[in-house]
Amino acid sequence: MSETKAFEPKIIAFVCNWCTYLGADLAGTSRLEYPANVRLVRLPCTGRIDFNLLIKAFEMKADAVLVSGCHPGDCHYTSGNYHARRRWMLFRDLLDLLGFDMRRIYFSWISGAEGHKFRQVITEITEETRKLGPYKLYEGKPVAYPKFSETVMPLGDFSTEAEMRSTARTLLSDGSVQVVIGYGERGPVFVTHAKDAGKLVWNRNCLTNLTAYLKRKEIKALGKAAIVVKGCDERALLVLEQESQIERENLHVIGMACEGLGIPKCAGCMVRQPRFADEVIGTAKPAEAIDHYAALDVLMAMSPEERMGFWAEQFDRCQRCYACRQVCPMCFCEQCLTDKNQPQEIDTSATRKGIFAWQIMRAFHQAGRCVGCGECTRVCPVGIDLWALNLALERSAEKNFGYKAGMEKSAGSLIGAYSTRDKEEFIQ
Amino acid sequence: MSEIISQDLLRQCVGEWLAAGKRVAGPRQVSWNRVLYAPLKTPSELLLDLNERPVNSIKEFFFPKHEQLYGYKIEGNDIRLTDPEETLPEQVILGGRPCDAAALPILDHIFNWDFKDSQYNARRAVTTIVTVACTTHDDACFCTSVGLAPTAERGSDAILLPLGDGSYEVRCETEKGKTLFAGKTTPSDKTATEYAGPEKKIDPAKVGAFARDHFEDPLWQQQTLACLGCGICAYNCPTCHCFDIVDEGNAAGGERARNWDSCQFPLFTLHASGHNPRNSQPNRQRQRVYHKFHIYPEKFGEVLCTGCGSCTRNCPAGLGIVGITTEISHG
Repeated sequence: MSETKAFEPKIIAFVCNWCTYLGADLAGTSRLEYPANVRLVRLPCTGRIDFNLLIKAFEMKADAVLVSGCHPGDCHYTSGNYHARRRWMLFRDLLDLLGFDMRRIYFSWISGAEGHKFRQVITEITEETRKLGPYKLYEGKPVAYPKFSETVMPLGDFSTEAEMRSTARTLLSDGSVQVVIGYGERGPVFVTHAKDAGKLVWNRNCLTNLTAYLKRKEIKALGKAAIVVKGCDERALLVLEQESQIERENLHVIGMACEGLGIPKCAGCMVRQPRFADEVIGTAKPAEAIDHYAALDVLMAMSPEERMGFWAEQFDRCQRCYACRQVCPMCFCEQCLTDKNQPQEIDTSATRKGIFAWQIMRAFHQAGRCVGCGECTRVCPVGIDLWALNLALERSAEKNFGYKAGMEKSAGSLIGAYSTRDKEEFIQ
Repeated sequence: MSEIISQDLLRQCVGEWLAAGKRVAGPRQVSWNRVLYAPLKTPSELLLDLNERPVNSIKEFFFPKHEQLYGYKIEGNDIRLTDPEETLPEQVILGGRPCDAAALPILDHIFNWDFKDSQYNARRAVTTIVTVACTTHDDACFCTSVGLAPTAERGSDAILLPLGDGSYEVRCETEKGKTLFAGKTTPSDKTATEYAGPEKKIDPAKVGAFARDHFEDPLWQQQTLACLGCGICAYNCPTCHCFDIVDEGNAAGGERARNWDSCQFPLFTLHASGHNPRNSQPNRQRQRVYHKFHIYPEKFGEVLCTGCGSCTRNCPAGLGIVGITTEISHG
């Protein structure tokens, strides 16, 4: 009992320089007393508060975390807090799926004139956290592997192989492209001569999302490219174009109609027929729609401790081989944050702490960008259910913002934009 | 005459070893589509009769993906260093393949060359390795190309040869193996037929010589353009052993640790100046082949490869040693 009484929660508050910090200052100069449990970290703007800092705070034994900034409309930089609001909405859903204790993560708007509100919020968080006790991060209840519904794995026919080869041959021989990025017998191939077009194949092993190669300098050096895409891969092209990573007019897209490769992601595929390719080879019957998010409900039906246990068990296997990152078309940064070591923001060690930080970062950097091609999950050598992290963010984007990445050509970026009408029930 | 053991009795042994506080590791189904060598909680988790090879290798029980070298605590002006907290229980690794076990004598060279690696050696000392001979192979397997075989006993303390009726012929190769199976086996007149394994696919000597003499050959680029630059090949290779030393922690305390590293990452060779001598993925793949078939044999007299095929089997882009070096071997 005496130990429980002695527990003093440690609360880290990330506050913006212009409003909440001034609010805290006002509380001080007004002699308003508030619990000394809070440590303020002053940053320019809530829009600039890196989500990794929240994780870092918990790693460093925080029992609760607060992010607080200017009221909507009051941002010193006009819209930083609107961007923050949208980002935190998505981030909360990711943390929830991972089994974080959401009762320890707070958001508020406190202006420079609201010294009293600062006191009230801090007092409330301190009291609530004191009741919860110390936070044992990444300790969950071990669980049996959940029963996701039986997956149907549709498999189409691949009779359009010859047509694809002849298309490639024509493109190369008339000089419209210098290289065709396609599938070969063993894996991806880069065909540079018309006579080698026969090396291209179209079969159930054509799994790789080839758009991941468009970022590579060795491939760019080969000249103007044609690329073979399935409908699912094509979604990535839309996002890459939106993010100015490719010049669509300098790329020839050969779309392959596809009725499935016999793997789980093909169930309920809504993009069997490529929609924006320069030419589409074959016709695919539409798939029967399924509820992709049902699998998330299975996870969300568990308690947070069980979800954390589920992920801890999975992440303990992670080797930090970064195959998930390397195979991802959306991971095009020249230098990944985890490879930056001055300072090292994400631990490189394959410890529970390092792996959680890495996987959280990887997943969240895909928020509103992941097109669900599932390559990360396919290549993971240790079989981590990475799809579930991506899916949670996809659901959050769809539910909260009616947004799905790589579906519409005219759509802007989700994270790079905001609306003054975005939801904010989670903010005090 | 041979000594045999039934699968049931083998599982019973696993139970006894676990009960005695030993750490027992073997092939285990970790997700719906992955089998890994992993510590077992119960004997029933052990997968025998596996046709496919587990994704990873047994090296992680000697050279883990992360290990603390020492810890530190800072209080005022006082800095305290602490030894790693790890305790080393006796380990039994059961169900590894001959290509896994053969990697350990090869790794012993590097971990005992100029510096005797105490943590690696300590784990080697407390571990008994019981392999299961292969009775099948897949497209990626090439143990016969590097002088091994589906029944090669190198590195094993005991090797179990399937008799086809759910029991194994037990051949104990070392004292450790004999101690482990003492009183557990029964004499029999049955002997296992030795499986011949895959045809030879690559020629290590030729590959090594090519790497030495044709360092700038365009073939390297042609063969490795599809490489995505992940660490799957190195991390799941029984013989790849490169590591990175990191300090992780904060102003109050932390640790110095050794983590796996891979020559496939740009950061592996990045200089502080910003210059990177291996500045493209084909250069990095060439390095992997060069190290395995030229540098290591030159230094230690044998190739750094056991032909397990993990790099080929698990490569997201269909490369791996076999894929890259087949043309060299037959060219």
